[in-house]
Amino acid sequence: MKTAQAGTLESMDCVVSLTEGAAGSGLAVTVGGASAARFGKAMEKRITETLQKLGARDLTVSVQDNGALDIVLEARVEAAWRRMTGGDGA
Amino acid sequence: MARNSVGRDLPEQIPGYGPVRPFSGHKARIPEGNRAGGKLKATFNDRTDKTVKDIKEAIKASGLRSGMTVSFHHHLRNGDYVVNQVIDACAEMGIRDLTLFPTALFGVHKALIPHIKSGVISRIMGSVNGPIGQLASEGGMESPVVLRSHGGRPRAVVAGDVKIDVAFIASPSADRYGNLSGRIGRSACGSMGYAVTDAEYADCVIAVTDNLVPFPLTPVSINQTKVDFVVAVDSIGDPAGIVSGTTQVTRDPMRLLIAHHAAALIESSPYFKDGISFQTGAGGISLAVAAFVREVMKARGIKGSFGLGGITSFFVDMLKEGLFEHLMDVQSFDLVAVKSIAENPNHVEISADWYANPWNSGAVVNMLDTVVLGATEVDRNFNANVNTEADGALLHGIGGHQDTASGAKLTIITTPLLRGRIPCVVDDVYTVTTPGEVVDAIVTEFGVAINPLRQDLIDAAKDAGDVPLVTIDELAERAHKMSGPMEPVATKDRIIGVVEWRDGTVIDVVRQLDK
Repeated sequence: MKTAQAGTLESMDCVVSLTEGAAGSGLAVTVGGASAARFGKAMEKRITETLQKLGARDLTVSVQDNGALDIVLEARVEAAWRRMTGGDGA
Repeated sequence: MARNSVGRDLPEQIPGYGPVRPFSGHKARIPEGNRAGGKLKATFNDRTDKTVKDIKEAIKASGLRSGMTVSFHHHLRNGDYVVNQVIDACAEMGIRDLTLFPTALFGVHKALIPHIKSGVISRIMGSVNGPIGQLASEGGMESPVVLRSHGGRPRAVVAGDVKIDVAFIASPSADRYGNLSGRIGRSACGSMGYAVTDAEYADCVIAVTDNLVPFPLTPVSINQTKVDFVVAVDSIGDPAGIVSGTTQVTRDPMRLLIAHHAAALIESSPYFKDGISFQTGAGGISLAVAAFVREVMKARGIKGSFGLGGITSFFVDMLKEGLFEHLMDVQSFDLVAVKSIAENPNHVEISADWYANPWNSGAVVNMLDTVVLGATEVDRNFNANVNTEADGALLHGIGGHQDTASGAKLTIITTPLLRGRIPCVVDDVYTVTTPGEVVDAIVTEFGVAINPLRQDLIDAAKDAGDVPLVTIDELAERAHKMSGPMEPVATKDRIIGVVEWRDGTVIDVVRQLDK
């Protein structure tokens, strides 16, 4: 089972952890940490959209947040995905 | 339902609190009648030693029973052993249903949680920092927590809103006849200002000390005429948790920029001249503001009159340098401040009543020129929240926020525009602690918003030319653009916290989290 991680727990950053899921299992996203209470749904949506754009299908995604803005969240999700799939510059 | 003057809808009655008097302006409520008072007592020359064997014996002698109100002060902060020791003793003696009336509770007081669950404590009126605040927020208290400012609390005692049955006073030093001091002893905390009104108005006063000295102890924080019993214990607290070593100015460049803007605003104001009086919190930004102001005072040869509040080593240095004539100290934050109050006659101990009570013949906050405060969030109406966090949990007390904001001629709130992703300038704060009518400026790294009520300050800042002025709406919009829209806090209807304005009216309530 492939896994990958990107990010840190510095302020305004987050740690994104991806685990490959069984074919057809879809995207399962959980968000915890600093902003989850007030931005959890917005973050889940942004994570899902970013992964869909990258062509990801079956993944468990866990985000430990420490106040990341959307632009940081997207970058960390993309970095984790590229590490897992062995893409360029990973 | 009634709507108060900051737009909060309040019920007429809150279970466990009583009738609600809605807030209607910062100087609107004027009291009538006379002060309350404790029991009369006679003491003659057949009683010359007030010491008793232990806390249990003191409790027994005090007549403390189930259902009564017990008070504590928080000068021992997160090092305090006394609250836990006293409540443990009450529990063992079968006393239940107590109203706890501390000035504040800290993380160390999480040991009280089992006593809350078992019914030894049924109500808390006081600041609940940390774990007990979280418990209350999740619905773990029978009655709502009542939050009062440093001035609002003695007001409530003097006015008879709260009747203290037994005051337990942690005393770093005491003699056998009940003279108390915070200046010396292994658990020295400096000022004991929060305990003074409790000692005057409680029916019974018990001092708990770990440094019993020969009579007469002098100078005193609280004198023998107020104290009924003295208990010597092994230790009243952990010195490491009572005072910090030295208080540090922030090195974070963003926070230094905020402090720099705040200092520029102060320098532009009509109050920056000889005789200026000043209060800041002990937080990193506040101290940095003081550091910038200190340099300009030196450069321009300006001498201040007094520094007020919780006193840090930073203010002690300014006293030594002659930048202040006096320090008025209700709470000594660090070792340097504790040493200074013990040795320097110009470093004066004041009570919370003297510091901040609106219902006496004049508190020191009324003489204050400038105060620099923080907040968890502020809004487009300049209202400030210091009580609840972004997730809606009640985790902080009011402190002197309301009192100094109401009293000072120039009230500045410094805050980053965002903390993490959480915006700190919003459309409408989740909890109103301090109303916008007494907040003069919001200072962020993206600029300074001056309250439109203070055109004089806006003009002065424009004349100075180095204050980056923005509007509060610009700040709120910028924060919103960076963070995105926030989801509302999910709550139940039940009220778990009542935030009183310093005059006893209700400025806001906090509801139970839905989780």
